[in-house]
Amino acid sequence: MAKPMNMRDKYNRMTRDLGWEPSYQPKSKIYPQIEFEGIKIENWEQWEDPFRLTMDAYWKYQAEKERKLYAVIDSFAQNNGQLNITDARYVNALKLFLTGISPAEYSAHRGFSMVGRAFPGVGAQVACQMQAVDELRHVQTQVHTISHYNKYFNGFQDFRHMHDRVWYLSVPKSFFEDAQTAGPFEFITAISFSFEYVLTNLLFMPFMSGAAFNGDMATVTFGFSAQSDEARHMTLGLEVIKFMLQQHPDNVPIVQRWIDKWFWRGYRLLSLVAMMMDYMLPKRVMSWKEAWEMYFEQNGGALFEDLARYGIRMPKYWEVSVQEKDHLSHQTWATFYNYGHAAAFHTWMPDAEEMAWLAAKYPDSFDRWYRPRYEHWIAQEKAGHRFYNPSLPMLCQTCQIPMLYTDMDDPTQVVYRSTEYQGEKYHFCSDGCKDIFEHEPEKYVQAWLPVNQIYQGHCGGATVPEVLNWYHLRDGQDNRDYLYSEDRQNWLRWKEASSQLETT
Amino acid sequence: MSYQLTIEPLGQTIEVEEGQNLLDAALRAGIWLPHACCHGLCATCKVQITDGEVDLGEASPFALMDFERDENKCLACCATPLSDVTIEADIDDDPDAEIHPVQDFTGTVVKLVDLTPTAKGVFIELDGDGLCFQAGHYINLHLPDIAQPRAFSLANSPSQPRLIELNIRRVPGGEATGYIHDRLQVGDRLELAGPYGRFFVRHSAPESLLFLAGGTGLSSPKSMILDRLEQGDTRPIVLVYGARHRAELYYHELFQDLAARYPNFSYVPALSEPEAGDAWEGATGFVHEVAKAHFDNDFRGHKAYLCGPPVMIDACITTLMQGRLFERDIYMEKFISAADAAQTARKSPLFRSI
Repeated sequence: MAKPMNMRDKYNRMTRDLGWEPSYQPKSKIYPQIEFEGIKIENWEQWEDPFRLTMDAYWKYQAEKERKLYAVIDSFAQNNGQLNITDARYVNALKLFLTGISPAEYSAHRGFSMVGRAFPGVGAQVACQMQAVDELRHVQTQVHTISHYNKYFNGFQDFRHMHDRVWYLSVPKSFFEDAQTAGPFEFITAISFSFEYVLTNLLFMPFMSGAAFNGDMATVTFGFSAQSDEARHMTLGLEVIKFMLQQHPDNVPIVQRWIDKWFWRGYRLLSLVAMMMDYMLPKRVMSWKEAWEMYFEQNGGALFEDLARYGIRMPKYWEVSVQEKDHLSHQTWATFYNYGHAAAFHTWMPDAEEMAWLAAKYPDSFDRWYRPRYEHWIAQEKAGHRFYNPSLPMLCQTCQIPMLYTDMDDPTQVVYRSTEYQGEKYHFCSDGCKDIFEHEPEKYVQAWLPVNQIYQGHCGGATVPEVLNWYHLRDGQDNRDYLYSEDRQNWLRWKEASSQLETT
Repeated sequence: MSYQLTIEPLGQTIEVEEGQNLLDAALRAGIWLPHACCHGLCATCKVQITDGEVDLGEASPFALMDFERDENKCLACCATPLSDVTIEADIDDDPDAEIHPVQDFTGTVVKLVDLTPTAKGVFIELDGDGLCFQAGHYINLHLPDIAQPRAFSLANSPSQPRLIELNIRRVPGGEATGYIHDRLQVGDRLELAGPYGRFFVRHSAPESLLFLAGGTGLSSPKSMILDRLEQGDTRPIVLVYGARHRAELYYHELFQDLAARYPNFSYVPALSEPEAGDAWEGATGFVHEVAKAHFDNDFRGHKAYLCGPPVMIDACITTLMQGRLFERDIYMEKFISAADAAQTARKSPLFRSI
């Protein structure tokens, strides 16, 4: 009997001949975007498929995942699962996650469709095509979750509209648009490697375990369903990097610059996650600092030790991210507290127990720099003057986050970096963002910065109510302090009603 | 009680302890299976069960789908055997790998040679027909009054199945190597089992052969080179062999002689710290430095085989990769001890086999 084929041979038999030599047009015309970034590929045949999945099997898997996921989402809806979460305050973390990330997943879907078309190699085309479909599936499942929570809580009602307008949502939006407007190799380095591989664990693991901890089974199930895809996406990220680095030595400095850029872009985006982990979950899983140590310093450190063999070093400014771990979440949350009247979710001050947790997790920074500020704001609030900052913050030209991060040697001094380009001055939150701008100023001078747009009169008017109206944000319902929110009033009424039902 | 796990397409059989998962058993036996999350969520370690029964453990319903459970698939990271089991894993079976069944042997020590001040050559004549093995394999040697057997690579050519040779360095304070250096006598009877390992020459691949060896890591390359030359291989074969100083460089004359007799074989000895009396005219430096200079930092077109202490292996991998030779062309001798398994947390999944 002939020896049975191994899995690799079986896969090759199933997929060969997907790539053919074109005869009507030269390859350079069919794949016009493949050379301008400077990446040199000598042999696409050396692409190793990181997972041997045929389209036929792919549909079978995804169909079963969908059936299971929607069964859970349906039962969550029918059983009023939203009443089993720890607290209505938790939903604010979901608002930020679902309104910030869902449109980003749609951008990822479009991006992978584009780069799958741009690459000449069959293996890369198929991998990108599957990931494009995955991302579309993720958006859909998240939209279904939004649809459910929207029946009971404020702030979800117009997420697509808000994504194009609201100031903090421009952070993930501009991140993905930056990647989509790059070439195919930079896009896949940005999303598959830097975002999916190096940073996604930080987005998914603490957030999904946070959801489980807080009784949100709809989000947990979505998370499991997505994580089985994420493993494939992360493997693709590693394969892409290895492939580029092995194909030609000239690729190494180009890839290093992309890793530097997209590490910093991704890290800045994760400041929203840092704040969710430390401030927005009623039951906390781990602190941002612990997560950064585990997922970046340890796991990422091991990865970069291995990448050093190719001549790749740690991403530029990684030391800054380590210095900032004691401050990042506090400074970000304090800023959202300041601008809580202009956000589509609620903000609040941590209670005494939460402050004790923060002090224990951040012994070097919390009591010294942040507790006094919070106690001041709490006193003001008790005196009937909940503080809302009436001015608008200056935004970083690159990451679009308000310029709120401080010098790590002096946590009272905001980092101001600036550069001049064609007679105009541009401002940055960090050296990392300034470097990114200076490498491609023509790209970032076009940034649509929400604050600048308001001042230029493009956002419905010059007053806060006019801008909120232009955002489709309902003043007094979607925004301001959680303490006085409709969400909280409703939650207390539902809880009281259900406890009366139980006692009768 | 333990069960037997057979892993196809390798055809290798290993023991799995009660409650131990399939992935852990394979990794500890030195067999790499694809894996990532190690707790049933990512599905990277999915394997096909072709015979026997397992408990699927905590496999997530999204990582191991119902239709796959019906098709007898499992996640190796959380499946535990309920009987002897055969799995088919997504690993490449190599046409050049020879599978020889592991057997127990008894033999007599017939010669002990001081190769260097710290390394001893132990020659054992086996009873019976001898040990069938592939160059690069190792054996487990049992020593009197020492509970655990110790692994040593075979230094002789497979054409001498009855007279096996081991090169054993004295590990400071080491119980087993101390016994061998201080107490083992010609005429002693010893028990051993083998052959083990998946380190072998990819002889059907067209590339030239490059061996990088340090210290007593010479054993396998010696066996492999003798075997290749005996088989009439005419491709260029280069051995870069490093030691600290002249007294630690053993089999120097043997390889000089082979290089003189076989035009396709080149021998590049390297001393990292030659002593004044060594009158050394060869290359000076570590193995990776000397190899880099010898090949002018371009290793393309080779298959490289690495044997030696971990720091040497590490430096050589980096040098090879910077000289454009990558994972698919690099092979090394690997013993995965319990201590190594504990260190895997620090390793990223970027590389599979190096």
